[in-house]
Amino acid sequence: MLLQLNNIFKWVNSGGQRIFLLKDINLQVEEGEFISIMGPSGSGKSTLLNVIGMLDGFDEGEYNFLHESVHTLKEKHRSNLYKEYIGFVFQSYHLLDELTVQENLEMPLLYKKFKGSERKAMVADMLDRFNIVGKKDLFPAQLSGGQQQLVGVARALIASPKLILADEPTGNLNSSQSEEIMELFKQLNQEGVTIIQVTHSEQNAAYGSRVINLLDGRMI
Amino acid sequence: MFKNHLKISLRNLWKNKTLSFLNLIGLSIGVSSVLTLLFSVYAYYTADNNIPERDSIVYLKTKLKDGNEYREVPYPLLDKVINTSPEVIAGTHLHGWGNIWLENGEKEFQNRTDYADPEFFKVFGLPLKYGNQETALKEKYSIILTDKISQQIYGDENPVGKTLVAADTLNLKVTGVFEPISPYASFRLGVVLPNTLLKDNPTFISQTNWGNSFSPAYFKLRTNANITALKQRIEKLVQENYTDPSVIAGMEILPYSEIRTDIIPVVDTIIGGSIAASLFVLLIILVNLLNLNTSTMFKRTKDIAVRKVLGSSKKSVVIQFCIENGILVFVSIIISSILFLLINLPRLNDTFGPEFGRISFDIFKDYPVVIGIIAVGLVATLVVGIFPTLRFIKVPVSLGIKGKIDQIKSNFLLRNSFIIVQFTIAILFISIAVILNQQIGFMKNADLGFERNNVLVGNIDLDYKNLDVAKSKFNALIDELEANPYVKGVSTSQAIPSDYYFNYTSYYDAENDKDVRIRRSYADDGYFKTLEVPMVMGRNFEKSIDKSNGQPVIINEAALKAFGWTSIEGKKLKYKTDTGEGYPIVGVVKDFHYQDLQNAVEPLVHIYRDKNALERHRFLSVKVIEGQEKEIENMIASAFSEISSRRDYEQSYLVDKVSAQYQLIGGILKTVNITAILTIFISCLGMFGLISFMAKRKVKEIGIRKVLGAGVTKIVVLLSKDYIILVCVASIIAFPIAWYVMNAWLGTFAYSIAIKWWMFGFAGLIALLITAFTLGLQAVKSAMANPVKSLRTE
Repeated sequence: MLLQLNNIFKWVNSGGQRIFLLKDINLQVEEGEFISIMGPSGSGKSTLLNVIGMLDGFDEGEYNFLHESVHTLKEKHRSNLYKEYIGFVFQSYHLLDELTVQENLEMPLLYKKFKGSERKAMVADMLDRFNIVGKKDLFPAQLSGGQQQLVGVARALIASPKLILADEPTGNLNSSQSEEIMELFKQLNQEGVTIIQVTHSEQNAAYGSRVINLLDGRMI
Repeated sequence: MFKNHLKISLRNLWKNKTLSFLNLIGLSIGVSSVLTLLFSVYAYYTADNNIPERDSIVYLKTKLKDGNEYREVPYPLLDKVINTSPEVIAGTHLHGWGNIWLENGEKEFQNRTDYADPEFFKVFGLPLKYGNQETALKEKYSIILTDKISQQIYGDENPVGKTLVAADTLNLKVTGVFEPISPYASFRLGVVLPNTLLKDNPTFISQTNWGNSFSPAYFKLRTNANITALKQRIEKLVQENYTDPSVIAGMEILPYSEIRTDIIPVVDTIIGGSIAASLFVLLIILVNLLNLNTSTMFKRTKDIAVRKVLGSSKKSVVIQFCIENGILVFVSIIISSILFLLINLPRLNDTFGPEFGRISFDIFKDYPVVIGIIAVGLVATLVVGIFPTLRFIKVPVSLGIKGKIDQIKSNFLLRNSFIIVQFTIAILFISIAVILNQQIGFMKNADLGFERNNVLVGNIDLDYKNLDVAKSKFNALIDELEANPYVKGVSTSQAIPSDYYFNYTSYYDAENDKDVRIRRSYADDGYFKTLEVPMVMGRNFEKSIDKSNGQPVIINEAALKAFGWTSIEGKKLKYKTDTGEGYPIVGVVKDFHYQDLQNAVEPLVHIYRDKNALERHRFLSVKVIEGQEKEIENMIASAFSEISSRRDYEQSYLVDKVSAQYQLIGGILKTVNITAILTIFISCLGMFGLISFMAKRKVKEIGIRKVLGAGVTKIVVLLSKDYIILVCVASIIAFPIAWYVMNAWLGTFAYSIAIKWWMFGFAGLIALLITAFTLGLQAVKSAMANPVKSLRTE
């Protein structure tokens, strides 16, 4: 078991009323799964993903990640945890504009204090694997959306995380580009990486092994 | 990691070229002015550092009952004090007695000449570059040179043992050369001679009595010396020995460290002002950097969030920012150092040089300034790197990644307190500049009570080689001038307005039992005619009567009032102890401003002296009919070119001499003006950054408003309104402060303008216009943006 959410609640107080963003979420994810989270706008998909990714807290419930109880951990331990095991992919890529492709890939490794030679090897490996060696010195602005997302995925993968969280990874891409990314996810999943993606598209959801539907913060 | 930070920083700076450039300009200009101000303050405070044990040196100040005070004491007092006081280790005179002409082979030169006792070095211990302190003033015929003069005469050679010929007759042996002395030091030395040399001079001997004060007295005291006891003893000596002790109110013992402000009181204003100005400018720069950093933060929140997701710690984000700002700060320090050396320092010297001497920057001597500015740079980097980051780093990642920072709300005034501080300072400086401009304009253009236009003034105190020949040629010139139809008046005098000697004498009126201290000068019969000063009583000098008529004098109204007289009928100026005839008063002139308007018109007397007393008058004044100045100038100059003298004849116009009195205060004005422009400029740079930040935050709002039909004007108003309010708030804070400061300062001028509301209004208007312009640039740009584009990005 990779992670487990038990009775997770998350709410905000607005005008004296409690508005629930997540309501009684129970979810267990095994290693090697490929899960798609679906639901209409505002149903809490991204919030759930942020909670899983530990970028956001929750107000009630338990969250266990690889036998660590996330809800009892301090901020610092929590960030160490996600640093080590989780990679993120965003809808709008969020590459650092002032860094080249190569440097963007290197970034997470720097924060994990890998040695220079190791970093070079890992970056070269990743560039090779994604067939973007020729683009390594370009800046994000010089790439197409699909290529940027490719770099985004590569960056998420570079530190060999156990789990990839993708928030509408193909939301800004055209159909052929998005097919390419989804194929990539499928392949990664087959190699053993656990993936959780948020998506609007049935077609993308079909790549996954399980679909979770959300409505008004509740799993249905 | 560091390399990475550096790389990202450079790229970031390059990406925001406009902003970085604005930052760099603001910083460089700001830092260079701070550097200049602090350097001059530093130079001032360290100028006396080469005098060892300064704290134990004191000087005497005589206070008179009429409120006047001076540093000079009668010559014999010094020895009396040394002999009777256990508190005193050593004491010395240091005074002038005419500047001596020196010859080295063919070359002749004259420098400021001071005479000192052999104990001079025991008191002041000024280090010698060459020579020995013990023996330098022992020999009667010895001379000590300053480093500068030694360089001029001997170059880099050691001149000790060489001989200079003084006043054509005396062979003086060079016994020492001082280490270089800072021009800001309390000492202005040229050459120093032992005063044993003067003991041969009968005039000097006749003056060294208890009735004549011409030399300051300096003492070195033992540690823990009882100052009160010393003061009482000195006052007792004064009462016992002075010719006329009744006028003395008391003696003061002042620490030597105060002598500079004592000599030029405005120094305090300049130094205090410099420190305040540099602190303010520094504050403004910091605030500015903070503002401009904040303005890039919108983009940065996303960056920070992404970094955090990728595993960056908060520390690393802060380091990144510090490096980025550090690069800006230190590049600007380098640029500003260049500005400082190439532009600011020469300008500073041009401005204050005539009064204080030129200073130069020497890295080996002045390295504390360099260390200081680097330390300031480091602190600034840390402050501007850490401060804004802390606010943004707290944004939760899940919000930050969407670029949502609107969630962090804060009070409008609090958030903008930085801008208010900046503009308060800027408006404060503008107000001060406006008021000071008015005051100086007033002083330069005020009715001074005499004619200053078209009055040509030449110096005739030229050390003539053959006085008799010079006199006859000069008389011919005078005759020629008086006959010239373009000349309305000719006069020779010891002084002219703006340049009267500090020569005071107390005269006594037995009838009223009144002692009046009067400034003295000598003038001929043409003086008041040339200057067009009207008589209010009696008559002007007349050559035919006054030549054989003792020494007739003309006093001014202030003197008349001081004596409490209503008529001068039969009145004479007499010393209290004088039993002789005294000076008959023949007339009273209307008060005129013979000194600058910072000083009141005090009692003044002119004693008659013949026009052709070339050797004793200092000035030739000629009132010329407008349009004919050139011709007369040439005529006089060519006449003097035929008279052989050691100094060169120079001439200028009285109006310029009068204006030149305000050179120092004009220098202050210039500095204030520059600071004012600088502060408003830098403030506007920061505001420019902030409003572009606001515009970015409000892109959506602007888009929606435009879609709903708002015009460009409406949007511009929307964006700028808040800032205009801020400037108004700043004005409200700045005006009372400016009023308080300037009211206090104007109080030190004997004649000053009244502060009017429009001066503040004008200052506020300037600030408002500049602000509006800056705002307009950015606001119009945002308002013109296509709403379709801005709405789509959301």
